[in-house]
Amino acid sequence: MKTRETWLAPLAAAAIAITAATCTLAQPEPTAGPAAVTAPPAQAPPATLRNASNSMKIGVMGDFGTGTRVQYETAAQMLKTYQAFKYEIVLLTGDNLYGDERPQDFVLKFEKPYKPLLDAGVKFYASLGNHDSREQRTYPPFNMGDKLYYSFKAPRQDVRFFAFESTYPEPEQIKWLEDELKGSREAWKVMFFHHPLYSSGGRHGSDTQLRGVLEPLFIKYNVSMVLTGHDHFYERTKPQKGIVYFVLGAGGQLRMGNIDRTSGITARGFDTDTSFMVGEFIDDEFVFQAISRTGQIIDSGTVSRRKAEDAGGAPATRPR
Amino acid sequence: MTLNYFRSAGAAWAAGTALVVATAVLTAQQQTQLPPPTQRVAPPPDTTNTGKAVEEFTAKVKTYAALHQKIEAGLPKLPKEASPQQKDFNQRELGRLIKQARATAKQSDVLTPTMQAYVRQQLVKIFAGAEGAARLASVMDENPVGAKVGVNDRYPDSIPLSTMPPEVLQVLPKMPEELEYRFVGDNLVILDPHAHLIVDYMPAALPKGKKS
Repeated sequence: MKTRETWLAPLAAAAIAITAATCTLAQPEPTAGPAAVTAPPAQAPPATLRNASNSMKIGVMGDFGTGTRVQYETAAQMLKTYQAFKYEIVLLTGDNLYGDERPQDFVLKFEKPYKPLLDAGVKFYASLGNHDSREQRTYPPFNMGDKLYYSFKAPRQDVRFFAFESTYPEPEQIKWLEDELKGSREAWKVMFFHHPLYSSGGRHGSDTQLRGVLEPLFIKYNVSMVLTGHDHFYERTKPQKGIVYFVLGAGGQLRMGNIDRTSGITARGFDTDTSFMVGEFIDDEFVFQAISRTGQIIDSGTVSRRKAEDAGGAPATRPR
Repeated sequence: MTLNYFRSAGAAWAAGTALVVATAVLTAQQQTQLPPPTQRVAPPPDTTNTGKAVEEFTAKVKTYAALHQKIEAGLPKLPKEASPQQKDFNQRELGRLIKQARATAKQSDVLTPTMQAYVRQQLVKIFAGAEGAARLASVMDENPVGAKVGVNDRYPDSIPLSTMPPEVLQVLPKMPEELEYRFVGDNLVILDPHAHLIVDYMPAALPKGKKS
């Protein structure tokens, strides 16, 4: 493992692929259907983040708490990104700590690799995966408020995030989620949790049981985007019944070559290095970039939010 | 002759189809008897043996929760911003003291044989058919086959928590905050997630011949 000084040193002068210029994407068509994704063709330059002053900027990652060199390098890349794109919060899609969870493990697998971000005031919001002890909910840097599942309003823009505990979907939690979604008045409803409802993972893949329970709620209550982990790679699905699903399970773990390219659900997949995602909510759009450990932009685009009248509509994808 | 053949073949086909449809309906009925996912399956009436077993189980679970709370209350009060060291100390101490208080506890104390029979009956239904196979696959995802567990054992840090299908949690009695159900291998475990302690377990809880 590199020392903090070693891995921080090259970052100061490093430039990243994000610019403060306005988005290079064409303006999306007016949203008449469900959440639409506008993504550049594979060979086109990546969509540029707008870095707007009033946008809600986030980072997302999952399956990271290994304490390995790869995790530290991915964390370093997150810091490099942060230096040009000041995301305020990071959503964690679970498997926050692998193996032992002794006090020193919280340091090695979380506090040390993300120290520069924590010091800069970036707030992390965790959901729990199958490798996480329930007691992580009381760990202050995870901002779970001692709860296994919770929701919170974003500090800017009209967004609410919902953290679900997907290893233990008991009726009371599902009832809570339905009530929360129903009662939410925010324009954007974004779910984050561990087990993917849609994934092309050869190792785990889609959790169809959970999908049977959650998807109807997401459709009915107008969830626009779902962020998950568990499979150790990056994947963005084509909209499924109008909703865009991300698998972000490579924050420190990697299952090389595990994406089943024949699944038919993949809009973009990356399984050759670790990765994370950053993005910003601006009114009805979420502009995102997925970035690898080495700084390669592996995916980018814009998700348009679903609107009330879209609930239950057919999927629509609008590639550029 | 030919006409008769077609008639009888048609009748056989119709009968076969009817049988398939009936079976499908029966299976579907069996599998769709669950209430909406926001609700639990009602326990059997307490006038039956099974109903009494469920009541007894619920009472034992409550007794355990009370013990947990009592021991926890006796531990040093943690500050709001307690460090991981303080929390780790408290959690291990909680486990040690509960274990001490339940030194004579043995397998099937909480999950009594009658309760186990009821649970097994529910799980057989849940894990039946194609839907059941998908549920079983979900349970066995990263779940070590053949793992050994014991009452009062610390839940191994190296073993991830099994995913509990929503339907399984729907048919089992609700647990208090201090306890939860998990599968370790094919054992259904009653786990105290705060103390990381295995309170009881039921061996061979998953249907035979379907373990991945």
